[in-house]
Amino acid sequence: MSPDATEIVRLDGHVVDSLLLPKVLDAIVDAGATYRILELEMGKTTLDPSHVRIEVAAASEAALDALLAEVQVHGVNREDASDASLVDAPADGVLPADFYSTTNLATWVRVDGRWLACGRPEMDCALVVAPDPGAEEVAVRMVPMHRVHRGDRVVVGWRGVRVATPGRAEESDGFGFMTSEVSSEKPKAVSLARVAASLHEARDRRRRGTGGRVLVVCGPAVVHTGAAPALARLVRDGWVQLLFAGNGFATHDIEANVLGTSLGVSLGEGVLSEHGHANHLRVINEVRRLGSVAAAVESGWLTGGVLYECVRAGVPFVLGGSVRDDGPLPDVISDTVAAADAMRAQLEGVDVAVMLATTLHAIATGNLLPAGVETYCVDINQAVVTKLADRGSHQALGIVTDVGLFTGELADRLCTTA
Amino acid sequence: MHDGVTRLPWGRRFLLCPPRHFTVAYEINPYMHVQVHPDPDAAMAQFDGLASTLVAAGAQVELMEPAPGLPDLVFTANAGVVDGEVFVPSRFRHPERQGETPHDVDWFAGHGFRVTPLSGDEPFEGAGDVLPFGAGSEPGAGRLGPVLVAGYRLRSSVVAQTELGQLLGVPVRAVELTDERFYHVDLVFCPLDDRRALIAPLGLDRYGCRVLAELVPEPVWLTDDEACAFCANSVVVGDVVVMPSCTPRLGAILEGAGLSVAVSPVGEFLKAGGGCRCLTLTLDVVLSSPRAAGSGGPGPERSGSRSTSA
Repeated sequence: MSPDATEIVRLDGHVVDSLLLPKVLDAIVDAGATYRILELEMGKTTLDPSHVRIEVAAASEAALDALLAEVQVHGVNREDASDASLVDAPADGVLPADFYSTTNLATWVRVDGRWLACGRPEMDCALVVAPDPGAEEVAVRMVPMHRVHRGDRVVVGWRGVRVATPGRAEESDGFGFMTSEVSSEKPKAVSLARVAASLHEARDRRRRGTGGRVLVVCGPAVVHTGAAPALARLVRDGWVQLLFAGNGFATHDIEANVLGTSLGVSLGEGVLSEHGHANHLRVINEVRRLGSVAAAVESGWLTGGVLYECVRAGVPFVLGGSVRDDGPLPDVISDTVAAADAMRAQLEGVDVAVMLATTLHAIATGNLLPAGVETYCVDINQAVVTKLADRGSHQALGIVTDVGLFTGELADRLCTTA
Repeated sequence: MHDGVTRLPWGRRFLLCPPRHFTVAYEINPYMHVQVHPDPDAAMAQFDGLASTLVAAGAQVELMEPAPGLPDLVFTANAGVVDGEVFVPSRFRHPERQGETPHDVDWFAGHGFRVTPLSGDEPFEGAGDVLPFGAGSEPGAGRLGPVLVAGYRLRSSVVAQTELGQLLGVPVRAVELTDERFYHVDLVFCPLDDRRALIAPLGLDRYGCRVLAELVPEPVWLTDDEACAFCANSVVVGDVVVMPSCTPRLGAILEGAGLSVAVSPVGEFLKAGGGCRCLTLTLDVVLSSPRAAGSGGPGPERSGSRSTSA
């Protein structure tokens, strides 16, 4: 999120010949603020007025207010000077018609003449204005449809809503590749170096106490391709703070560590074990008997793997279910709406996300992430990255490669332990 | 004519309001002090002197009936802006003067003008803050037609002046008034003809000075003392400049430009912050077609007009 307070203002009239435009721009700079001219429509004749749209950014909302009050006398006016329209939600889980649908960009809502920053951005949500618990003022939250309660004050229409210009906040975060970049032709070493650098920077942010939580989202292919031991090392060495996956990844991770197979195929020799087709079911059954993955670790039955390292390191994981799941494992949340809520609840402080060989969970997670989160999507299938971008997660950098080799190299670069 | 200069095409017909109810009843500018009352007889004598000076210079003077409780009604320049038969009434910043507007509107409506108020609620104080310049330029000479020089911040809003320019179809040059002592543009700017104007930089910032320096081919810059003596608050009738005061330096410049100076003392009105220009409203301004104004022009009917006997 940009720390700046910004406002889009308009200046209309014979502002060039009257030197009002240079005067206003000088006043902005003199106040220590910055500006960006978004539009400059010059009058064609001396009679035609000119129209200018300027984005003004100041260090704080108070400084911005003072500056805008100062330049208002020169004819500068806030472009959107109206409060957001609020309508009560008609029923639990039902939004008013014409509700404002959010993007994953930082968003402000104007209430009683003041611009209030919304919490963590999430696309496809509604904006709910409610008294801020513990404060005198109201706060604005992005709320998914199913979490809206009857009578919640919901923003409708687009007036009084402002969205950060894409790219701006990201520039200040030093994250340069915001556009969807995906190509099977890209040098893998360069992409690998980017991800490694990103994880190093995240660690620095954690040490400073300014975010830096790294989310890894895994598909079952992480296990099939042999990437799991490398990922386990990354977890053990503290490079991962949160993990999202499904029943498949979790099951195969456990199966590989308990039985040495993945879907019955020996990870060592690549041959189908005898009656191996049932291996994953036996594993699921055993974990169900023990009660949870954590209980399986505590009992000494599960002694290695990604989830084992998560339990040991206290890294939270959310396992979201799907209709094709066997079992599932007792940790899997099979109510998908509840699973998405559980994922949401963990996202505070996450500013790097690495999606490893998963379509379903990558897109589900992409839908929940603010645009400012550095997102890497590693998949052998280019279409996964494109899908993610098409759904609005334009910040994703796609790396088309074998996840096994990639994860191994990443762990080799970052981990000190064997 | 002098050196190919064209005299102002307007300034032959003025609206004045006799100071029968003039006093200082409130303080809305740095000159007003409620303890310092103008002398009614002296004020009336100065008013008559101004009116007769204008008439002697070749102007026609019309009088508006004064009204009790509206002491500043004498400053007709602030009533609004005239363009042909259009009258755009003011919207005074201070509540003390807002009662003048219905009175002004009645007069103009009763004299054949089309009263056209601005929209919105931004303050706007008429010809006190908007003066046309450059109307006399020959067509095709590559110069601007009339431009409205507008002073904003202290009394009028630049937003209202922008709207006025669009309403009248005239470009606006808005300059910020930065000194409380020069609260209207007619205290820092006075068009003399189509090439010259008095300009008091003391009441402007560097942007305003640059705007006017580019607009006015031969600016006559006033010294700070001349500005404080209200030299810019003058009325031009053809080649006569009717001034509240003048310095030898300025007089020599004006005479060198082919203009003659007629000083008309208005000291009683200076106690309320107004000079010669503030006491007059030019009724024959025609911005859209300045050349039609020379011989009386189409303009509103004059049946209600009275000339002063002074």
